[in-house]
Amino acid sequence: MGLSYTDTETGNHYMDMHRFGDWLAATGPSQAIQSSTWAIPTIQSVHILALALVFTTALLLSLRFAGLGLTAEPLGELATRSARRIWLLLVVLAATGALLITAEPGRTITNPVFYAKMSMLAVVIVLTLWLTHSARRVERPTAAQLVVAAVALLLWIGIIFAGRFIAYVESY
Amino acid sequence: MQQSFFEWLQNTPIGVAVGETWFPWVESTHVLFTAVVAGTILTVDARLLGMGLRKLRVTYIAQRILPLTWIAFAGAALTGTLMFMANATSYIHNKPFLAKMVLLLLLGLNMLYFHLLTYRSVEQWDNGRPAAPARAAGFISTVLWLAVIACGRWIGFV
Repeated sequence: MGLSYTDTETGNHYMDMHRFGDWLAATGPSQAIQSSTWAIPTIQSVHILALALVFTTALLLSLRFAGLGLTAEPLGELATRSARRIWLLLVVLAATGALLITAEPGRTITNPVFYAKMSMLAVVIVLTLWLTHSARRVERPTAAQLVVAAVALLLWIGIIFAGRFIAYVESY
Repeated sequence: MQQSFFEWLQNTPIGVAVGETWFPWVESTHVLFTAVVAGTILTVDARLLGMGLRKLRVTYIAQRILPLTWIAFAGAALTGTLMFMANATSYIHNKPFLAKMVLLLLLGLNMLYFHLLTYRSVEQWDNGRPAAPARAAGFISTVLWLAVIACGRWIGFV
């Protein structure tokens, strides 16, 4: 069984996510997670814990650009420390997220909310990179940094909502 | 008698509206607030355990971070109550839910003991390594919050 198909009218090749999901769900690792009663909630708990820490780090970073929160710590130091923590936690989130997709591909890879979540994540990563790099060059936050910090925080909130809505929105 | 109270709660206009329409929104908001509660408390706990933010005074961190914790806790309690109202009759038999409530009670007691007794001597360990009772409070809080998160997730699996 191939994982891609060819559109008979245009001749274009497509990755068929349904076929890919069926294939993934039949693999050994997926079967192992599915057959366990505690694996999925355990992985989800680690995912939520990492999410709580990453969101709090992002919140305290954003607040610092508004002159709130841990203002006693120099902006550059706080930005460097926050960035390191955010990247580390994103690795944990990606690893646990990948396991959850492996366990239940039909729930995510054909779900539009999952792609909305990944798109917001991509933007938030770029914004966080810019924020934490630019913060090292200034002593006081600029207006542009404040705006980007606010947008990043809203995107994190969107990511949290999308994560929960994956469970409620039907896959195509 | 007891059962009828929870049935009544579930059949109130708010309980019905949350159950039929708003549950995913209320639940997502609950995750958002819980993330801030757990994330901020774990940050303060890390400082008590000497594992982070060591350059900042304990009292400064508490003063700057704990107001966020309380705002988020109010939001988490409100959204949690709304979710409970939507399915009250099943939650009262849900073991992870009951365990979570007991854990929150223990966390409250740990917090009271810390703030009313341990925190009195904070001036002596504000800058450096926190005193043993403060480190113990941070450790207990960390373990219990991890358990609260796990129980919260498990509520939907039984």
